[in-house]
Amino acid sequence: MKEQNSHNDKDVFLAKWLAGEFSDDTLKILVSETEYHSFLKIRKGIDTYEALDTSTDDSFNKIQEHITKSKQQEIGKVIPLNTNRWLLSIAASIVVLFGLFFILGDDIVTIETNYGEQRTIVLLEGSEVILNSKSTLTYDKDNWENNRELSLEGEGYFKVKKGSTFTVVTDNGNVQVLGTQFNVNSTTDLFEVVCFEGKVSVSTKAENYTLLPTNTVRRINGFEVEQWETRDTNPSWIEGESTFKSVPLKYVITSLEAQYNITIEAKDINRELVYTGSFTHKNLNTALKTVFNSLQIRYSEKEKGNIYLSTK
Amino acid sequence: MSKDQQNICQEKTFESVYKQYAKDIRRFLFYKTQDLDKAEDILQETFIKLWDNCGKVKYESVKSYLHTIATNTFLNMIKHDKVVRKHQESLVNHKDNESPEFIMLEKEFMVKLEHTIDSLPEKQKEVFLLNRIEKKKYKEIAEQLGISVKAVEKRMHLALVVIREKIGNI
Repeated sequence: MKEQNSHNDKDVFLAKWLAGEFSDDTLKILVSETEYHSFLKIRKGIDTYEALDTSTDDSFNKIQEHITKSKQQEIGKVIPLNTNRWLLSIAASIVVLFGLFFILGDDIVTIETNYGEQRTIVLLEGSEVILNSKSTLTYDKDNWENNRELSLEGEGYFKVKKGSTFTVVTDNGNVQVLGTQFNVNSTTDLFEVVCFEGKVSVSTKAENYTLLPTNTVRRINGFEVEQWETRDTNPSWIEGESTFKSVPLKYVITSLEAQYNITIEAKDINRELVYTGSFTHKNLNTALKTVFNSLQIRYSEKEKGNIYLSTK
Repeated sequence: MSKDQQNICQEKTFESVYKQYAKDIRRFLFYKTQDLDKAEDILQETFIKLWDNCGKVKYESVKSYLHTIATNTFLNMIKHDKVVRKHQESLVNHKDNESPEFIMLEKEFMVKLEHTIDSLPEKQKEVFLLNRIEKKKYKEIAEQLGISVKAVEKRMHLALVVIREKIGNI
């Protein structure tokens, strides 16, 4: 173009420049440095102004594609983890809730189940937690999908959707998965994790373990770490029955109390007796019978909700 | 019927929510990302999250929900995207000497620009919009308006002068 005739173009050069007929270098000659930068910014602003005005249909199409695709691909891997509230330094690294440490204050969610209560919690991205009786689950809603951490006290069965690392934090150790099914049981002196599907990593103060399906890891304070293969496909408590494998009686008692909202006086019996068996959630008498008859322990209801144990 | 209209899990409702807020969210995200492609990406992620949680979001609070999710998604992108940080850092350092590679468009600037375009004198505004929004060349505009190409160029030039004057040195 006639860039030499800038004198003739003095009232049109900006239009020519914007249309691309004049180069940026040409503009630089025609205006001051400050004006030059201003016009560059204005041009970018105008381009953006136009772009922000264009239709958002393309994005909508992509959104629809994604939704259709994910409907077809939904995979739920659930690893039941049994973590008793024991401070077992469970070998399996179970990444359980980290929620407490990331709570920013407003978006913390705490769910607490009552005696005999089981609750299913659906998390923001679709993962599920089934919380057993007298258990507490805490997590931070804010930023959940990128930071899937929760705190667990008690017992929970986790069905984790594929996504960012899912971590369950307990007093006994952490459980970490990428989309699996596991059960975590963590009470004061017991920590048990069972992997039902997928891969679970459990870390405690002492060790790290990686669990594959059916791997179970448990540590009861004062005892060696135990590892075995479960034959279940999901934890029994979900289906109304609590199962124990060589567990000191005191923990079975705690479970009975949590399930039925009773207190059990056990000072006159040996609470370290090892129990293998289960009890039903549906009937207290049946449950008491199952547990204590096998151990030859007498039980009597001194007053409503208070059971007294003695030896025969 | 109104229950359906309020249920985001209904595809029609979801689509109408999208149509209502998408541009606003995209603009909101552009100011943060300074990148239209990233803004569109996060826009998509935001609405996908809305869909995934459609049962848990109240229709009345969908606007703030969208803004919250968009912001959080953006913040997460920042954490993992050092490139954006580099740009922002270089911006702070080169405030008075904008590097040719990156010019930041602040929200205030864009708001003022839009307002200025909107209040351009009639003749200039007409040419400006025909050229920039409808993508018509000066020649086409001249034919359409029945004036010379030079006249079109003059109006466009003036529009830019006005914009420059009004926006100043932002």
